[in-house]
Amino acid sequence: MANNATAYGTGADLQNAGMRQRGAGELSAAYAPLPTEEDVSKLKKKSCVSEVQKSSGIDIESILAPIIFTLVSFWTRLHRIGESNIVTWDEAHFGKFGSHYLKREFYFDVHPPLGKMLVGLSGYLAGYNGSFEFKSGEEYPPELDYTYMRIFNATFGALCIPLAYFTAKEFGFSKKATWLVTLMVLCDNSYATISRFILLDAMLLFFTFTTMLCFARFHNLQKKSFSIEWFFWLVLSGLSIGCVCSVKWVGLFATAVVGLYTVEDLWNKFGDLDMPVFTYLAHWISRIFGLIIVPLAVYMASFKAHFVILENSGPGDAQMSSLFQANLKGTELGNSPLEVVIGSRATLKNMGYGGGLLHSHVQTYPEGSGQQQITCYHHKDSNNDWWFYPARDQPAYDPESDEIRYIGNGDVIRLIHTQTGRNLHSHAVPAPVTKSDHEVSCYGNLTVGDNKDHWTVEIIDDTSGRDYSKLKTLTSSFRLKHTALGCYLKAANTNLPQWGFKQIETTCTKKNNPKDKFTHWNVESHWNDKLPKADVKAFKSPFLKDFIHLNVAMMTSNNALVPDPDKQDDLASHWWQWPILNVGLRMCSWEDKVTKYFLLGNPFVYWGSTASLGLFGLMFVFYLIRWQRGYDDLTLDDIDHIHYAGLYPLIGWFFHYFPFILMGRVTYVHHYYPALYFAILVFGFIFNHVCERIPRAIAYTLYASAYVVTIGLFVLFSPISFGMTGSADQYSYLKWFENWRIS
Amino acid sequence: MSESPVGVRQRGPKKKVGNGAEYSSVPGGSDDELLAMSIKAPRHVQSTGGRGYKIALAVITALAFVTRFHRLGHPNEVVFDEVHFGKYLEHTYFFDVHPPFGKLLFALMGWFVGYDGHFKFENIGDSYISNGVPYVAFRAMPAMLGALTVPVVFLTMQESGYSLPAAITAAMLVLFDNAHIGQTRLILLDATLILSMACSLLCYVRFYKLRDQPFGRKWWKWLLLTGVALSCVISTKYVGVFTFVTIGGAVIVDLWNLLDYKRGLSLQQFGQHFAARALGLIIVPFFFYLFWFQVHFTVLYKSGPGDDFMSPAFQETLADNALSASSITVNYYDTVQIRHKDTKAFLHSHAQNYPLRYEDGRISSQGQQVTGYPFNDTNNHWIIMPATPFPEEERLNRPVLNGDIFKLHHVLTNTDLLSHDVASPYFPTNQEFTTISMDKSYGERHNDTLFEIKMEHGKKEAELKTLAGHFKLLHVPSKVAMWTHSKPLPDWGFKQQEINGNKNVAQGSNIWYIEDIPSMTEADERNSKEPKKVKHMSFISKYLELQRAMFHHNNALTSSHPYASQPIQWPFLLRGVSFWTKTDTREQIYFLGNPVGWWLASALLAVLAGIFGADQITQRRGLDALDRRTRSKLYNSTGFFLFAWASHYFPFYLMGRQLFLHHYLPAHLASALVTGALVEFIFCADPLEKEVIDKDGKKTYVAAPKRSLVGAWIACGVISAAVVACFIFYAPLTYGTPGLTVEQVLARKFLGYELHFAK
Repeated sequence: MANNATAYGTGADLQNAGMRQRGAGELSAAYAPLPTEEDVSKLKKKSCVSEVQKSSGIDIESILAPIIFTLVSFWTRLHRIGESNIVTWDEAHFGKFGSHYLKREFYFDVHPPLGKMLVGLSGYLAGYNGSFEFKSGEEYPPELDYTYMRIFNATFGALCIPLAYFTAKEFGFSKKATWLVTLMVLCDNSYATISRFILLDAMLLFFTFTTMLCFARFHNLQKKSFSIEWFFWLVLSGLSIGCVCSVKWVGLFATAVVGLYTVEDLWNKFGDLDMPVFTYLAHWISRIFGLIIVPLAVYMASFKAHFVILENSGPGDAQMSSLFQANLKGTELGNSPLEVVIGSRATLKNMGYGGGLLHSHVQTYPEGSGQQQITCYHHKDSNNDWWFYPARDQPAYDPESDEIRYIGNGDVIRLIHTQTGRNLHSHAVPAPVTKSDHEVSCYGNLTVGDNKDHWTVEIIDDTSGRDYSKLKTLTSSFRLKHTALGCYLKAANTNLPQWGFKQIETTCTKKNNPKDKFTHWNVESHWNDKLPKADVKAFKSPFLKDFIHLNVAMMTSNNALVPDPDKQDDLASHWWQWPILNVGLRMCSWEDKVTKYFLLGNPFVYWGSTASLGLFGLMFVFYLIRWQRGYDDLTLDDIDHIHYAGLYPLIGWFFHYFPFILMGRVTYVHHYYPALYFAILVFGFIFNHVCERIPRAIAYTLYASAYVVTIGLFVLFSPISFGMTGSADQYSYLKWFENWRIS
Repeated sequence: MSESPVGVRQRGPKKKVGNGAEYSSVPGGSDDELLAMSIKAPRHVQSTGGRGYKIALAVITALAFVTRFHRLGHPNEVVFDEVHFGKYLEHTYFFDVHPPFGKLLFALMGWFVGYDGHFKFENIGDSYISNGVPYVAFRAMPAMLGALTVPVVFLTMQESGYSLPAAITAAMLVLFDNAHIGQTRLILLDATLILSMACSLLCYVRFYKLRDQPFGRKWWKWLLLTGVALSCVISTKYVGVFTFVTIGGAVIVDLWNLLDYKRGLSLQQFGQHFAARALGLIIVPFFFYLFWFQVHFTVLYKSGPGDDFMSPAFQETLADNALSASSITVNYYDTVQIRHKDTKAFLHSHAQNYPLRYEDGRISSQGQQVTGYPFNDTNNHWIIMPATPFPEEERLNRPVLNGDIFKLHHVLTNTDLLSHDVASPYFPTNQEFTTISMDKSYGERHNDTLFEIKMEHGKKEAELKTLAGHFKLLHVPSKVAMWTHSKPLPDWGFKQQEINGNKNVAQGSNIWYIEDIPSMTEADERNSKEPKKVKHMSFISKYLELQRAMFHHNNALTSSHPYASQPIQWPFLLRGVSFWTKTDTREQIYFLGNPVGWWLASALLAVLAGIFGADQITQRRGLDALDRRTRSKLYNSTGFFLFAWASHYFPFYLMGRQLFLHHYLPAHLASALVTGALVEFIFCADPLEKEVIDKDGKKTYVAAPKRSLVGAWIACGVISAAVVACFIFYAPLTYGTPGLTVEQVLARKFLGYELHFAK
């Protein structure tokens, strides 16, 4: 009996499991059965096939429309592009960064390098030598073909329009909705304006658009998994993701959309019990390759190129490790002897991000011990120089003798400040700011002093090998342990008050944390006449380390771009102002003689797209409630369409918008532009969805009026994109609201 | 987000997520009945094992009172943040970022014992004895609430249908938790918060169990009680909003299921369900919440230390307020002293000029200096002159109105205030303020001497009053606001403050007011006005103003505190807070949870997440490891506790303000519930019911025969023993006595527990 029951039970279980999987059986009693999942895929296939057939047939629209749209878009992006001959808005930054590539000088910036390298390329093609300073508002010199550089950039902006067209097509929008989406991208004044200058935004938009096109195309190819075409678009998605992330980190949000889609897709396939395990694994592997490895390779390649091109020392040196700097041309760093010995003069750099050089000066602490201050300081001067001296209980250093005494892991030394002759010293006095640490001071001289001047060298790492018996310039990272107190020399990013000239507080921390980068030091510059200069090859800096270091430094600086409450910033705006087009941005000075550009969107595009987000939400809830009440409004095709062509763009909008709400940094209107594209797609979706369900006459009227309003408003507002000459007061008719500071 | 559409296409899996098992095609197995069964089952158990529950409840409650009241009078000094009482008893207005309910409870206690509220509790270590404060009575209140929390936890488990060992385990984790005890035997708001939060969960569970009798008397009772409990949470601290999220989430799931057409409810009936919940869980709590504010305003009718946080209009509603007593209308041609609200500096000028060149090389206009000077001085005297002089005979009694444009005339140097497009000494972005001679002022530079007055919250054309009227002074041509900051000028400016034109007009530090009118004579009729009455302001506008100020200041609590911690540290109990120390007896109170209890609870949260994940994955692959009632209970009940934990924990990651370990206590309570539930789930392998298939191939479900609870009892015993042992070990740090030797301190010091007297 028991056996029987078990047997029955198992059978029933299977039956149940199947039912749960499909989950449609339950409806059978009262309602017409919904198709099972297999039917779904069949239906989908059918619809896709018919779509493909449609598009592969000769359809004049599908050839002519993109061509016409592209031509018009080039006109809108290039018309009067050279009108303003002054450095406009952030051209001051990105033009300058482009110049650095031409001069091949190392610089530091918060954005990844691809976009700026492209700017550099445009300058190179324009025959520009990189000598212009790109000061904001300054006139371009005659030899600099800024028009060419702008055209290069505008090409990216113009190509967004055909991309939008094809994406809308791939999303299965009707012709009219496709045109609407394309027109909205084409006739948005903010897109048109931002594409006309030497900025990164046109490129960012371009790669965001390509990512969405790849997403849509790839989804349509799901039925042809593992075909050549499928692989082609998978890799193309990966390249596109790699590029968008290499232009600005905002690209990560586009990546997140594709990532979410992939996770969902794999989860769905996981539930497909008919799929062989190997096929499923192959799905995973191909996605890992296409969507993780390829983008990462692109991203890293852009940094590799960045390092290769920027081979000279430049303004960004200080952000990088000493070892990296030693490899740049034009620095003294590479000319040092390799091994540090007793009697060497050297500077010590803190290896934490943003760390400075160990520094002392004659000023004393106003509190605590009252002894001479020790700080960390980025500026290079002779107060950063230290002598390596033997501990007091060891034979004294004799400058005349030729004996060379190497310093190894665990050796006890003294450090003597060359300018004042005092010893690096610590004692059980609380540090001035970080009270829990010991104070570090400079005390005594060659003869006066005690064992509290002693420091033990603990080598943590050496990029040149595992040999820790000799402390080496640049390559060794070491900690300095106070021999008597057992604490570690540390300089975190705490600034001293005015009496310490706002330099970085240097303390001796009681925590023994070998991973704490702020307790790691390396010898940066090193002078010793008795030793030969090191072979430059000894200072090879591993790419991966530099890559990670630079990325962390970028992140740190990006987070540091917080709004200063005391500083007023006319240009900054808040997240809530963007979707409702509450504010615009003056891109240049507002004098009469200047050609003025005002960064403001097409009101219809902004308000319409924002409203569509809410409408989509309402529609979604409406259908959901109807479904829960047992109504069968939508076919499976409709549901699939809502899911991929409506919901995913909405998620994309959310991903591109929401982080800016949380972000503490200063935000500007152009941060909304990638999100706007997703909102436009949702708008297109709503139009498409609604107009299929209402009488044709009304639908046509709606479409026609949307076209007219979009184009009309673009034309009306075109002066702000094409440049306003003369007094701004002539354009006061465009100032619909107080915050649109056009006049 | 992507889940829903999947659900749309695959109805089954979606339902599973929401409701646990879905077997609706099977007779007698509809979702609702299933749930009802799982709920009814415990009643059945209760009838057999009811006595066990009762005894356990009594013992646990007694122990809770013992642990909370043990040595309540020690220490007899202010510990940590014990500042919340007495405030109401003096009826003077004060400001605090927390809503009034918790503080009113303390005031009630103080009123019972006849305390007058004279002691201000400003420093940790102030003696209660020498100040004559009935502090034991005050502490008894939170201790009682804290003790009551434990039986509520037990009852929540019992009502949710868990076995006795499971309920005991959950209660033990709270009963012998050093953090719960430590926080609730001090005069702090958290005891009120945690008890109300626990009651909300209990009431909602009771309410949910009554689903088969909707709109019945009991159903309404528990719905309204849930609402009241919720209201108490949010009226104590704003983190109570997380409890709303918890209950709200459960209500939404419940409503969604009611909406299902298979439930057979008409839309009208559904509407009633919806409206009842909206009434019970939103409207009633909100009015309750407002009620406490009304009490707050009624009790605090006198002016007090909180005045400065409120607007002048609000302050005028308070009795013996300096503002309502002495504010006077300002007229044109009055000599006035203008004072900066934040730095208290007067607008000042003197016969010295700006240096030609500043230290950084920028050049000034070399005009007469205009500075901020904090002391009374005749150089602070300015006359308010109309932009165009009034006819001689109409100059008297013309009040200055909001939005007026006027000039400011400096009396001693006979010059007029002016601003122009020259950078100020310290701020290249801000405009310089200076003065110019009368002939220029009424000649070529006339426009540059015009200023517009914009009063804060002022109606159009409201009269400017001394003290009460806060305003910004905008330079008419350039639209900058007069501003000053505390950094003193170099020696050439006599270390006085810089005055400059701030382009960011909206900035809060641009506010000035008229301190007094030195030119006013004794005979002036403005003096002879009868003293003003206390004004009235509608409750709603008072409430809205206070609410705004509270949110503003809550967000402003960003300064660092030595014992502040990060949310990520809490579940792992990486560090605590030093509450109080006494050097001579080596006693200290270190606020810390029971490490064994916390780590166990946190580990089991991860285990539960793992069980959910594994169950989802196996189901996705068509395998089924759980019987339907076990799954239903796991998702609906244990899942609800997990959701309560998550919604009381994760939002802290988004908060910018300083955070402390005690913010985790509500979440810890939820994690204790999860622990209890999982003890039963893990150690009770028997399924809750068996599936029987009869001859026709129909499935029916039979409740499993009596399940063996041996495993659960053993687990409960082991956990309880470990928790009690750990509690006793850390008790000296919780009760602040006895003092510990160095070795004893060191034995308790690990991770980031910064204990005192370790040397």
